[in-house]
Amino acid sequence: MFFFILTNNNSNKMFFLFILFFSTLISISSNSWFGCWIGLEINLLSFIPLISNSKNLLSVETSLKYFLTQSLASINFLFMILIKFSLLKNFDMNNIISIMMNSSLLMKMGSAPFHFWFPNIVEGLSWMNNFMLMTWQKISPMILLSYYFNKNFLIFMIIMNLIIGSLGGLNQTSLRKLLAFSSINNLGWMIFSIMISENLWLFYFLIYSMMIFMMISLFFLMNMYFMNQLFINNMNFFIKLNLLINFLSLGGLPPFMGFMPKWIIINFLLINKFYFLTFIFMMTSLIIIYYYIRIIYSSFMFNYFKMKWVNLLMKNNMSLINLSSFISISSMILSTFIFM
Amino acid sequence: MMKFLFMMIFMIPLCFMKNMFWLVQMMLFFMMFLFMNLNLNIMCFFNMSYMFYCDIISFGLILLSIWICSLMIMASESLFKLNFYFNFFLFNVIFLLIMLYLTFSVLNLLLFYFFFEASLIPTLLLIIGWGYQPERIQAGMYLLFYTLFGSLPLLMGIIYIFNDLNTMTIYFLKFFNMNMYLLYISMIFAFLVKMPMYFVHLWLPKAHVEAPVSGSMILAGIMLKLGGYGLLRVMIFLQEVNLKLNYIWIIISLVGGLFISMKCFCQVDMKSLIAYSSVAHMSMVIGGIMVMNYWGFIGSYILMISHGLCSSGMFCLANINYERLHSRSLYINSGMMNFMPSMSLWWFLLLSSNMAAPPSLNLLGEISLINSLVSWSNISMILLMMISFFSAGYSLYLYSYIQHGKYFQGLYSFYVGSSREYLLLFLHWFPLNMMILKVDFISIWF
Repeated sequence: MFFFILTNNNSNKMFFLFILFFSTLISISSNSWFGCWIGLEINLLSFIPLISNSKNLLSVETSLKYFLTQSLASINFLFMILIKFSLLKNFDMNNIISIMMNSSLLMKMGSAPFHFWFPNIVEGLSWMNNFMLMTWQKISPMILLSYYFNKNFLIFMIIMNLIIGSLGGLNQTSLRKLLAFSSINNLGWMIFSIMISENLWLFYFLIYSMMIFMMISLFFLMNMYFMNQLFINNMNFFIKLNLLINFLSLGGLPPFMGFMPKWIIINFLLINKFYFLTFIFMMTSLIIIYYYIRIIYSSFMFNYFKMKWVNLLMKNNMSLINLSSFISISSMILSTFIFM
Repeated sequence: MMKFLFMMIFMIPLCFMKNMFWLVQMMLFFMMFLFMNLNLNIMCFFNMSYMFYCDIISFGLILLSIWICSLMIMASESLFKLNFYFNFFLFNVIFLLIMLYLTFSVLNLLLFYFFFEASLIPTLLLIIGWGYQPERIQAGMYLLFYTLFGSLPLLMGIIYIFNDLNTMTIYFLKFFNMNMYLLYISMIFAFLVKMPMYFVHLWLPKAHVEAPVSGSMILAGIMLKLGGYGLLRVMIFLQEVNLKLNYIWIIISLVGGLFISMKCFCQVDMKSLIAYSSVAHMSMVIGGIMVMNYWGFIGSYILMISHGLCSSGMFCLANINYERLHSRSLYINSGMMNFMPSMSLWWFLLLSSNMAAPPSLNLLGEISLINSLVSWSNISMILLMMISFFSAGYSLYLYSYIQHGKYFQGLYSFYVGSSREYLLLFLHWFPLNMMILKVDFISIWF
């Protein structure tokens, strides 16, 4: 059922979905850099059929752009692996090589300063494809990043991620682009968490992907792609509450569940004496909360014009909304249990 | 202590049942009387259980928050009558009360921060959800962002303290001395924004004016006192830096209080005038806490409690006028003595308490604060004299403009005042003017 939704109600694509999952597993569980590269290539090859839809010209263009950027990054990665293999005999930890490898993986993920393709492409994808792009496609580049991590370079990249993710979303009205910039910002948090421990990255990633899933499923069911559509729909009260809680949780406000991973990361930041970096983390998350609240104005205000002709796509997918409402409301209570 | 928490948690299902609006209010009054009967030990932390405690300061502030939350429900009868999402409103009030109760009663500084932030969310929902004008969106944003901008460095400071001292229990903090300037600024700034101090006070007039009556009551009543409570807890381990640097905040807040008091005379909106008078009172509170002598702490604590009751009562009065005339402007609300002479009594009683006339608790607070600030520096006498004088001035200004004079010719008809409104105002005024008879339990700390 879940996989069916992920393939946009087109079960022919389920084959590619399974290969997508398998490719990440190849990439992260290989004991040679070549295996990693193979996994990344199969990932690219199997994601393209998922997103391209020959009847829609925009999605064809999007898949072409995705193919070009990702294959460029893969070629770069392969080249760096080969240089490391042949020139350095696979022993030394060279600064330039590690910078180049990290850069190619950052470009795969859509992190700054190689992020320019990312908001462009999410504009052409449907919501479920966006969900795959924002969550699953980040797993293998992140784990590969942790194998050859260059701390000095990546701290600079983290700062750029945070600033671009927060400031870039200020002038957007498309919900997909807003979530893309918030994904870039959260990539900054995630790259830092890799620096501390891979367990911590997994924890942050799981909570982040759960929150993104709840929001994307909400937007998917209401078929909303732009901010002006937020005001002309027929949401009942629980869906509004769900939207409110999810966005505030993603922003990292207490008492919601999204506060907890950010709190843990700030804890490790201060243990390792990254004081100025912590300040940048805090202030950029303030800017992010600003544009999240702009999205949820419609759910704060209880009385506005509701268009009765807009129907929610609720017939077959009621269980999804119920489940996500339950999780998002109970996570508020559960998070206090975890804290205490 | 945990029994009150569970009582509040189990009131939540009660909010969603039919016809339970007044029952929730009665349960909150009941909880108030139960809480008052706790054994009060002045010199120490009492009622300590797993993670809760009660101190003389937190006891008084929890009492104030339960009292004001129950009066909030009493003031919002129009929501119930017009059937405007009153279930969710009750849930909001109870949730806010739980967060405030937990803020004042947890032992752990990080949990204090957690509930301090968490109490912002229901306040934001109250302002944007039930407010009246479209400007409430901007007011909510100002409230949220001013407070968050101050409190994120507070989170950094708290985690830094944890990494250094390996404890976050509030009781143990007095044994340490963390005298670092940057830590001092990051810990204090959040509470100064919340209090609010003069330069960062801009959120308060917006939020108070755009909020509905319940939002204004809780903001003026308790949310400002969170800043004072935080300052009282956090300054213990920063004493040497405090002695060096506190004069900055005292001077900013006193001079700012003078400017704000003068600005009160220029206001046209009733609620805006009451909001600015809140800032002026809180400026004296900041001055009293920052001076760090005993009379200063006593005076600021008494002024916090009395200001909570008094400002909340004045917002109720402004709402009583607003529900009848649908305007908060002083041009329209004039000559009310002709129509509602009994309300004129309540306006007078609460405004006289606002200007610190005897026998109100404000008087004792201001006298203690004057004593402490003048003992710190003689020159502050000038500023205090002018702040007290202007507070009397704008309170009288508000009273005489609303009550005396010719009434607005465009009025149609309204009734004088229901007994619910009289009870509401009485319950604000009675603790304010009668607690001065037994003030030793809040003013003797050792």
